[in-house]
Amino acid sequence: MSLMGANFRRDLEIRQYPVLVYVLVPLVALVLQAWLPRVVRGYVWFDLPLVVTIYFALGRRSPIQGTMMGMFMGLFEDALSQHAIGVNGIAKTVCGFLAASVGVRIDVENYTIRLIMNFVLSLLASVIYVFVSRVLLGLDQEWRGLTELMKAVGNSVIALVLFPLLDRLQVRE
Amino acid sequence: MESFFVRYRNFLVLLAILLAQIVGLAVQVHRTDSGRNTDARDGTGVRLIRMWAEALVSPPERLIHSSKTGVGGLWGNYIDLRHVREQNQELQKTIDRLRLEQAELIEDAKQGQRLQAMLNFQEKYIYKTVAAQAIGTSGSDQSKVFFIDKGSADGLDRDMAVISADGIVGKVRDVFPHTAQVLAVNDQTSGAGVILETTRIRGILRGNANGQLEMVDILQDQRIKPGEKVLTAGGDMIFPRGLPVGVVEKVVPDPDRDSFIDVMITPAAHLDRLDEVLVITSTLPRLSPQQQQDVATSEAEKGAEAAAIHDQQVKEQQKASAIMAERLPGLMDPNLPPDKQPLLDSSNPDPVTRPAQALRPDRFTPLPKSAGGATDGKPETETGTSDAAKPAVPKAAAPKTTVPKPAAPKPTEPKATAPKATAPNQGDGSPTGRNQ
Repeated sequence: MSLMGANFRRDLEIRQYPVLVYVLVPLVALVLQAWLPRVVRGYVWFDLPLVVTIYFALGRRSPIQGTMMGMFMGLFEDALSQHAIGVNGIAKTVCGFLAASVGVRIDVENYTIRLIMNFVLSLLASVIYVFVSRVLLGLDQEWRGLTELMKAVGNSVIALVLFPLLDRLQVRE
Repeated sequence: MESFFVRYRNFLVLLAILLAQIVGLAVQVHRTDSGRNTDARDGTGVRLIRMWAEALVSPPERLIHSSKTGVGGLWGNYIDLRHVREQNQELQKTIDRLRLEQAELIEDAKQGQRLQAMLNFQEKYIYKTVAAQAIGTSGSDQSKVFFIDKGSADGLDRDMAVISADGIVGKVRDVFPHTAQVLAVNDQTSGAGVILETTRIRGILRGNANGQLEMVDILQDQRIKPGEKVLTAGGDMIFPRGLPVGVVEKVVPDPDRDSFIDVMITPAAHLDRLDEVLVITSTLPRLSPQQQQDVATSEAEKGAEAAAIHDQQVKEQQKASAIMAERLPGLMDPNLPPDKQPLLDSSNPDPVTRPAQALRPDRFTPLPKSAGGATDGKPETETGTSDAAKPAVPKAAAPKTTVPKPAAPKPTEPKATAPKATAPNQGDGSPTGRNQ
């Protein structure tokens, strides 16, 4: 009975977006992530692809779609770097899956929950990135706690501004 | 069973995707003698993915970069316009136009200054270079790479050095048709051979986790002081030697090795504010026409001098040959005119007459009856064989095998021919009978 209730609630709250939004928003996020570091001059305390991944995972409430979105964004970021392709992919895949899984059970309209979700998942993505780099690849990837903390805060702040803007793009029946 | 897959479908999909990516990572990792290395040359599939990603991101970046003022300039102009419009509608257009022109002029002037500095740098270091603009980054602070707007179509290739007017910047890591990926020197996976200017201590330059430049693999040395210049050593086959890298900021002990230190370096180039860069496409010196003429003149003079020396050496050799021929009369035939002497006859490669093959190479082999040899086992050097070998065999050859006292050589038979006659088996190279 409870399962049916959860599915019913989930079906009601699944957000729909135009197809163009699914293509353009991630692409714009990736382009801005690649271009903005030239403007902010080293203070790269944000991860726009991760924020967009979390947003669509929370909105769609489908773990599979969240997983796919995270994988796509992460692999794309890896392709722009000199590292092996898959490090960011694994991190954002897990984040997309968790965001969608949690989004089924909580009220994603709440700003505090959005803030906490972005903060926690940003830190988790950084932890997974360093773990994969050090353990699976054997690289000398150091953990920079302060930088990762600032990045998590930056992602949360960006999510507070960006999520309401993206909410306007959803299809309302 | 079906309910299991339906119930855990999401989790299974996650596991499958993670597993696929881990396998992909394993394929990309190249193990070397010094450990794992993921910075090696990418495979075809990986390079294709990078090319697609770059092809998607690069056009918007070029578009943003091509606008002179960019987003910041547009925002500034918007504020200015609003402020002017409040004051006076008529003055607004004039001020707007003037400010735009001024901004353009200032931007042009700044760009002109930067290009002038790069031109001076290029003239100072006479290498073949290609100027390029930085248009984008990897987007991650853990990956110090950036993209430039020149690629293989402009003559760029992997592992070319990238410099700015201030110093070295990095190396070309990957090349696409119209863009290229540059690995900055402050990346953790980067590496370059450097040397301290005054103390001449060599080390390896790389970036640390915070994006700072450091010189590693250096033994403790009290002579290293802050402020000393760091230059490229030229041994890495990427950066030409003598390019400025930066200055020593401080010296810290190596956390992993006791007797080693890390030298922190303030980079000469503004690695976080790169706009125009130069890619060194050839390390061969690019000479001016005057320099090329000087080199050609020098080469011609050097060739003439070498020819004169060669002629002189030939003459000296001929003179030495003549003196040698005079001192060795056996080499001269008194019955022949001077120009027909065997030594001067080039058609005769070996003027020395060789002896005929000995009939009995050792003392134990009996001579055949037809040769008139004895059958008692004693050597017969004075009998049958002597006639055959007589024209050429000097008498000095015989005593080595039979006669204890060597025969006195004739004046016309020099000793120089004797050793050739004493070796009966010289032709086949086998040991003589005396060794048996």
